[in-house]
Amino acid sequence: MRDKPRLAEFLAGCRDESPLLLGVAPFGMIYGIAALAAGVPAWLAQLASAIVFAGAAQLVIVQMLAAGAGFVPIALTSGLLNLRHVLYSASMAEYVRHLPRRWRLLLAYVLTDEAYAVAVLRYQRRETATADLRHWYFLGAGFTLWAGWQLSTAAGLLFGATIPPEWELDFAVPLTFIALLTLLLRERAGQAAALVAGLGALAFAALPYKLGLVAAILLGLAAGAWTVRRLERAR
Amino acid sequence: MTTNTLLLLLVLVGALTYLYRYAMIGLFASRSLPGWLHALCRHIAPASFAALTASGLFVAGGEVVFALDTPRPWAALVAVLVAWRTRNVLATIGAGMAALYLFKLLF
Repeated sequence: MRDKPRLAEFLAGCRDESPLLLGVAPFGMIYGIAALAAGVPAWLAQLASAIVFAGAAQLVIVQMLAAGAGFVPIALTSGLLNLRHVLYSASMAEYVRHLPRRWRLLLAYVLTDEAYAVAVLRYQRRETATADLRHWYFLGAGFTLWAGWQLSTAAGLLFGATIPPEWELDFAVPLTFIALLTLLLRERAGQAAALVAGLGALAFAALPYKLGLVAAILLGLAAGAWTVRRLERAR
Repeated sequence: MTTNTLLLLLVLVGALTYLYRYAMIGLFASRSLPGWLHALCRHIAPASFAALTASGLFVAGGEVVFALDTPRPWAALVAVLVAWRTRNVLATIGAGMAALYLFKLLF
């Protein structure tokens, strides 16, 4: 009896997260296909979806592997790209701070862009039960996204093994970056960061192990910070 | 890169990502995020995607190559236009792939 409201919260989280799977599944498939094209063994590509569990970073890793990048540049680039999860962590902190540590350790694993987006809406609504069970909702949303990511990765790996390389489906990875980049370029500082990083990637192309990418991204960040400061001064 | 090295890399990135996720709800739960980190996070994604796109399209074997007689740069241009007009990720990927196949027939 005691577990009924918990299960109800968990299932509500699953239900509210599921529409987002439509948007996530194509990226899981693109990742699976691109990982095979980059020469990653299927078992390792699937395992990566469980241990990294961050779509953009996984796409970056396979794109850089395909380009022959080395260990350090890939680790730095994906490590830097994933830093934004600290923002989600900070935003969820006020809602989960009171929970026992084992709950926070578990919820940290499922704290992704898409689970955060759904869970934060539930936390902003008033709770209905007398006891606060909204962490079960968060877990349900996170679990649903996790399962969807694993399944779409598997689908991409199965599909990718059967299609010929002439279809060039790995081109979907840079196309994904172009699409996400366009969505992100709303403010001046972000535009400056992107422009400088893009030009930097060409200027430092000759650096070994694709270290030029890391240098370009850092230069882009500096350009973004400089633009922010300049805009603030101008005000 | 050998399979073992790649496994090590993935475990490292996975552990780091988990630490990021746990940071503010566990490790530093009583503190707030420093302003500089907040500002930095906003620019990481645009800088990373721009560098990777430019490098993926115009860098081959450590050299800058504007291969304008091949389909990919032109398909990417179509994708940029569709992304800019529609602001839709799936439409962008679909249009870019369709343009790639079309240009492969033409080139």
